[in-house]
Amino acid sequence: MEVEVGKTAKYLREKQGVPEHVKEELKEFNRIKRAITDILQNEELTIAQLSERLQIPKHDVTYYLMSLVKYGVVATGEIDDMDEYYSYKLVK
Amino acid sequence: MNEEREVLNYDALVVGGGIAGGEAALNLANTGYKVLLVEKDRSLGGKMILLSKVFPTLDCSACITTPKVSEIARHKNITIFTESEVTAIVKKSENNFTAQITKKPRYVRVEDCTACQLCEKACPVSVRDEYQFGLIGRKAAFIPFSIANPKAAAIDIENCTLCGACEKVCPTHCIDFTMETKYYELHAKTVVLATGFNLFDPLLIPRYGYGQYKNVITSMQMEREIAPTRPFNTILRPGDGKVPDRIAYVLCTGSRDATVGNPICSQICCMYSIKQAQLLMGALPMADVTIYYINIRSFGKGFEEFYQQAKGMGVNFVKGKIGKIAEKENGDLILRYEDINEGVVREAEHDMVVLSVGVKSNPTVGKIFGRGELKLDPFNFVAQEDLLGSPSKTSIDGVFVAGTASAPMDIPDSILSAGSASSEAISYLIQHQEL
Repeated sequence: MEVEVGKTAKYLREKQGVPEHVKEELKEFNRIKRAITDILQNEELTIAQLSERLQIPKHDVTYYLMSLVKYGVVATGEIDDMDEYYSYKLVK
Repeated sequence: MNEEREVLNYDALVVGGGIAGGEAALNLANTGYKVLLVEKDRSLGGKMILLSKVFPTLDCSACITTPKVSEIARHKNITIFTESEVTAIVKKSENNFTAQITKKPRYVRVEDCTACQLCEKACPVSVRDEYQFGLIGRKAAFIPFSIANPKAAAIDIENCTLCGACEKVCPTHCIDFTMETKYYELHAKTVVLATGFNLFDPLLIPRYGYGQYKNVITSMQMEREIAPTRPFNTILRPGDGKVPDRIAYVLCTGSRDATVGNPICSQICCMYSIKQAQLLMGALPMADVTIYYINIRSFGKGFEEFYQQAKGMGVNFVKGKIGKIAEKENGDLILRYEDINEGVVREAEHDMVVLSVGVKSNPTVGKIFGRGELKLDPFNFVAQEDLLGSPSKTSIDGVFVAGTASAPMDIPDSILSAGSASSEAISYLIQHQEL
């Protein structure tokens, strides 16, 4: 079967579909990404502060936040006076 | 299965594209033999390409691996299959092996990909990055890691939403979701097995809390944290992003431990832990690094000096066997251990614990040959038929073993072993060449 260049994803989607868990995981990532970026709009925060405000465990915040740093959405800010925790800010 | 198989002919099949397989392939190819190198992963380089530095010289691991991998990839006598698996090998007669190979689709035409990463930016999916050992996310359309070879995008089809965003932005139209699994039948005259090793799974020791306590990590996770292509901006605790002050290493996690089915020494854990400790002291000058050990085995060239150097730098060595790790509310960890010298039980508090996980055999190698033809040793490594006289010979004439497929060993020994395997393979090819 001839499939148009640039539209092959549609071909495979129609052929085999997309598993529910993949859609759910994307929703979850987008939900947490939005929550983090919304809260970082106005101030720099540490992982502990983000965790407290978003009511998400610190280790999950670490994972999602560091992923957002890698994707260029969030940047690392200053470290605190005790040289223990960095703050993070939105890339604008 | 009745899938159509394309027939291939090569002088040598090398199974595994890590440092040992790559070295063996290069030696064979440089001698003029045509080699098919089959690698299960998306990149060549095995575990070595993911390391920060190597012991005892502290040379940059990537700086050693990438030129070698590049030489392998460019060699006119080597054909590389990544994301491929050798499912079966049958010896038909002397100098005549038939192998079944399955090549998974990458959904990217590697020859057309410029590694521009536009697909990666467009992809909305984020899943745990296996090349960063789960510390951070990656996209479903992604380049495995920055020094991967081939340096080309791949699609993680199991996590892809098939939204087509990557396809739309690809300037060379190299993304192709119509790609399918390919099946090959290979005819080769000799085989080199370089299937490497597996790391011990620390979940098998629940008392260490791996998976449960987020600041207990494995040595490969720490390896990534101290590598130049690290997941975080600096060394951080995955539990809360704190820069750790007090870091502990637990040696022999899953080695020399009959209770987890691995009573043998993994050969590399003492030295890689000492290496990491030295690198940590460079990266975090104020940090306290403590290594809990049963015995330090610094047997190789320059190893004892390297150990003494770590002591001189201030790494704290405690002869102690860890009984249990517990977590405090703030994420700090309490290590309960037997002080072997004093004969008492003690407790110590650390910010972060690194489990120096051991080496296990790769069980896939035994399944490639039928009816137990390929003999394995009691720990499921490939048995060496003549360990002292001809260490790369296996139970099948014409099949040779390279690197950690035969036993735990460090990088120099893996390369030596690959040299031995390729020499034996070349000798076999010459002895059995058709006149």
